[in-house]
Amino acid sequence: MGLNGYLIVAALLFGLGVYGVLTRRNAIAVLIGIELMLNAANLNFLAFWRFLAPSAMEAQVFVLIGITVAAAEAAVGLAVILNVYRDIGSIEVEQASELRG
Amino acid sequence: MNGVGVQAAFISLAVLTLVSAAASVRVRNIVHAGFWLLPCFVGIAGLFALLEAHFFFVVQLLIYVGAILVLILFALMLTRDVMNPAIPQTNRAGFIAGVFCALGGLFAAWTVTRQAWPGASAVPAPPAEQTRALGADLIGLYAVPFEVASLLLLAALIGAIVLAKSESPARASADGEPRAEGGEERPEGAEEPRTMVGAGR
Repeated sequence: MGLNGYLIVAALLFGLGVYGVLTRRNAIAVLIGIELMLNAANLNFLAFWRFLAPSAMEAQVFVLIGITVAAAEAAVGLAVILNVYRDIGSIEVEQASELRG
Repeated sequence: MNGVGVQAAFISLAVLTLVSAAASVRVRNIVHAGFWLLPCFVGIAGLFALLEAHFFFVVQLLIYVGAILVLILFALMLTRDVMNPAIPQTNRAGFIAGVFCALGGLFAAWTVTRQAWPGASAVPAPPAEQTRALGADLIGLYAVPFEVASLLLLAALIGAIVLAKSESPARASADGEPRAEGGEERPEGAEEPRTMVGAGR
């Protein structure tokens, strides 16, 4: 399996993540979709690194920073969701519409 | 690293990852969706190992499986009761979004197969040297992005603690009055032990 196999897996994983973000009503499930998309991006980075430029370290640095940002995003996102839950007693994304104009 | 074994490993890991990802965006019980992330992340870690990115195999297991997944499961268990598994977990856009995402993912995969990538070059360095080079780059050439990332993580984690700890002003003012009048008939008793501890000190 060469580069194409990994890229196809990453593309399908990203599609699944977008599907989760678009269709889920639970905010935590939306976050799960975002995590899937971030993982697909990391998989792409490492696949390109492995097959096109295995001696360069840029891809690995990028993936490391991407994982850091994903961890930060998960922590802040879940804190916001807990706060929303405390405020309106629900984490359905459609009910958190106070800011709607 | 070429052979039937690698191919079989790749295919099984890819199937594991995609099937569990599909389950975690699709299953109705939201706690099951959280747990379906586990095989998905483990499959991705296996793919990283197949890519000979050994450091990221470990990092994926530690951070995604060890930290982010546990965080998600905690949040699910803290908020679970409002999301009854009996009600549908997808919104009205479900079908259209499914078609859109399937087409998008398949189109991206198709585009990938049509692309002629430049030929694969050398084999990656062995794991020890690879990780050493990454570490040297992180404190050398890429020190600034690395420090910015760590600062971002620190700020985000402190912000998350503050956000999760602080009672929202609206609710604090709404609850403040009945609490002052008398605690006996107050419906939510969850706050009681905390004030007791505070008074005891």
